Amino acid sequence: MLEQSKIDKITSDLLGSIRLNKSFMIWMGFLGVSLFVCLGAYVKQLTDGLVVTGLGDYVSWGMYLSNFVFFVATSLIGMLISAILGLSGAKWAAPLARIAEIIALAFAAVAGLVIVSDMGRPDRLLNVFIHGRVQSPIVWDITVVTGYVLISALFLYIPLIPDLKICSEKLDKIPPFQRKIYKILSLNWNGTLEQEKLLKQSTRMLAILIIPVAMAIHTVTSWLFASTPRAGWDSTIMGPYFVTGAFVSGSAAVIIAMYFYRKNYKLQDYITDFHFDKMGKLLVLVSLIYLYFNLNEYMVPGYKMKKFDAIHLNNLFIGGHAVMFWMVQIFGLIIPIILLLFKKMRKPLPMLLIGIAVLIGAWFKRYIIVIPTMEHPFLPIQNVPLHFKVYTPTGIEILVSIAPLILVLIIITLLSKVIPIIPIHETIEQLEEKH
Amino acid sequence: MYRIKFKIAIILGFTGLINFQSFAQNNWDVPADKKSKNSNIEFNSGTAKEGEGIYNTNCKSCHGDIGKNNSLQSLKPVPPDLSSAQSKALLDGELFHILNVGRGLMPSFKEVLPESDRWKVIAYMRSYDKDYVQIISKTDPAKANLVKIKMVFDSINSKLNVEVVANEKAGIVKLKNAEIALFVTRHFGKMQLDKTLRTDNNGNASFDFPKDLPGDKVGNVELIVRVNDEIYGEIESISKFKIAVPTDKPSLTEKRAMWNVLAKAPIWLILLYLSGVLLATGVILYIIYNLYKLSKSNNNLKN
Ligand code: HEC
Repeated sequence: MLEQSKIDKITSDLLGSIRLNKSFMIWMGFLGVSLFVCLGAYVKQLTDGLVVTGLGDYVSWGMYLSNFVFFVATSLIGMLISAILGLSGAKWAAPLARIAEIIALAFAAVAGLVIVSDMGRPDRLLNVFIHGRVQSPIVWDITVVTGYVLISALFLYIPLIPDLKICSEKLDKIPPFQRKIYKILSLNWNGTLEQEKLLKQSTRMLAILIIPVAMAIHTVTSWLFASTPRAGWDSTIMGPYFVTGAFVSGSAAVIIAMYFYRKNYKLQDYITDFHFDKMGKLLVLVSLIYLYFNLNEYMVPGYKMKKFDAIHLNNLFIGGHAVMFWMVQIFGLIIPIILLLFKKMRKPLPMLLIGIAVLIGAWFKRYIIVIPTMEHPFLPIQNVPLHFKVYTPTGIEILVSIAPLILVLIIITLLSKVIPIIPIHETIEQLEEKH
Repeated sequence: MYRIKFKIAIILGFTGLINFQSFAQNNWDVPADKKSKNSNIEFNSGTAKEGEGIYNTNCKSCHGDIGKNNSLQSLKPVPPDLSSAQSKALLDGELFHILNVGRGLMPSFKEVLPESDRWKVIAYMRSYDKDYVQIISKTDPAKANLVKIKMVFDSINSKLNVEVVANEKAGIVKLKNAEIALFVTRHFGKMQLDKTLRTDNNGNASFDFPKDLPGDKVGNVELIVRVNDEIYGEIESISKFKIAVPTDKPSLTEKRAMWNVLAKAPIWLILLYLSGVLLATGVILYIIYNLYKLSKSNNNLKN
């Protein structure tokens, strides 16, 4: 058995972050004001319509759609770290599971809002449900995204139950109503054998369920594109291409979150260099797989250069989108892979910088997937002004695209102020097993 | 050799001249008899309102909003704003003629819009001109009601013969030299058959009828004859004939298909979708039941 003093230290260490301090207030204030500005831009879009964006008849999917794909992609990491690594017995990932789940839940929940921002008439949102057809990939997408948000919430909540009990008992400086909420949510947890069994079983079932559902949400998102015959989208590997790309951006997001949690919540003993090293290796692995898919996605049609593919690919390789395309491939994928092969680079600070580069690259990669194809329809575009043919996002569009990111940060910040970011119950359990 | 070169030079010169004319504004050269034509529909706020609807669907894409000078600038020549001084200066008959014949990118609306609609668009244009005073045509619109159009199908020669007469009080009058066109109703509007002809001295015209025109299941088609006469105005007559090729192609939306409505979605797709949703919902419900058991198990222990 672990001695009580050690258990107490772990508990107080990990509960330490649950308090509202000054830096939290400043950070939330900053996020709040930024969100307010972005919402102002959205109100302008609501009143004037989508004319305030760069969208039109030809490029009708612009920054909003690529933003949506990015958000769905990043949310997939919960499934990789908590479910796949968890089920395969990779114990090192256990302390990161909750961080990954929080990121997953926040990004998935906000992804739905991103889609609404792309609608000129959001008041007609219900029509999608009333008149939706089961043949439409959009309907599948709505179904799986909703399902994934629900399952992610459960997947965050269920392993949290014992910790909620600890919160209700051990946190001293909280208002009574908060204690009451912890108590209700901890569902009379008492750590009996039967409860442990039920908890393990439910977590396991969820871990299995979340794998196909997470695969489905990003595969279906890729089918929004792949189910059309347009150059650049008409590809059979779109599903796995998107899923592997998702792991890249999600891993980067987790690395960034790890860095800030470790630093701000003084978790150096729990999120160690060892974890960064492991995450670095994981990022190399998923990036290599993604690079492999990129090779397939661009080299195979690039070798054949069929008429319409050629227009599209030339635009990416040497044309108007070439700078963005090569920056994304080189700085968002190739250089990070090479750097992360060195042990020295798999330390917290270099990893943070690499993670940021990868995440930015991942965002622009979605832009590269969505927009250039829209600019080259099969039917020639004639007699229209230049800004119909070449898409440039407007300032309002950019602000409205930043809003979801702020929202995600707000959700993540709030969640990490009410629940322990490292699972207490599991940490203690793991230590006990070792003894 | 020299002569040929000379001919080419003349031809080039001519085409150059024509080109030049089509770029120069407002040189419509409307024949005198067309110029003097007037509407017998009164231009008032009612007809202008109807004309606005017709304008928005047929003209706005090129000419923009009247008075706002926002016509489609990428066309050559740029379509004029129809409230501009040069357009205002055109007579009703000239405008009507322009709508009938078109020029270059300006389409002909003769077979697209009935005469009354063409006049209503002009009524709408004129509503932007405060100084405009209408000269109403002296022709009597009621005269159109006297006209009878008779269609007879000649199956041996595959011709549709039409006779146009007017039942005047004084007796039957044959409409001579009246413009006459034949249309067939299709899914998305009318399709003209043969060319636009003129009636002969007996008020007759004969159209070639295609042998391969698809009809409905039993071969019915709806034919429309449109006559345009100087005195009697525009008259249309619609009748059904069982003279086309019977066609019984199942409609593309009859069977279950990817492009069909929800009620006609492919079965395999419905099954796949439902089984996925049910499976996931089942597992989630089971887990929620587990949570319920979990919250109760503690109480059992205590009791
Ligand atoms: C495809 C584009 C297009 C559409 C549709 C179109 N127009 Fe035009 N229109 C033109 C162009 C181009 C000209 C100039 C032609 C020229 O000068 O050779 C023109 C010229 C005219 C003129 C002569 C104006 C002047 O001052 O010389 C009139 C009148 C006119 N259009 C009326 C109409 C009306 C009424 C409609 C709808 C029923 C219509 N147009 C639909 C392209 C269009």
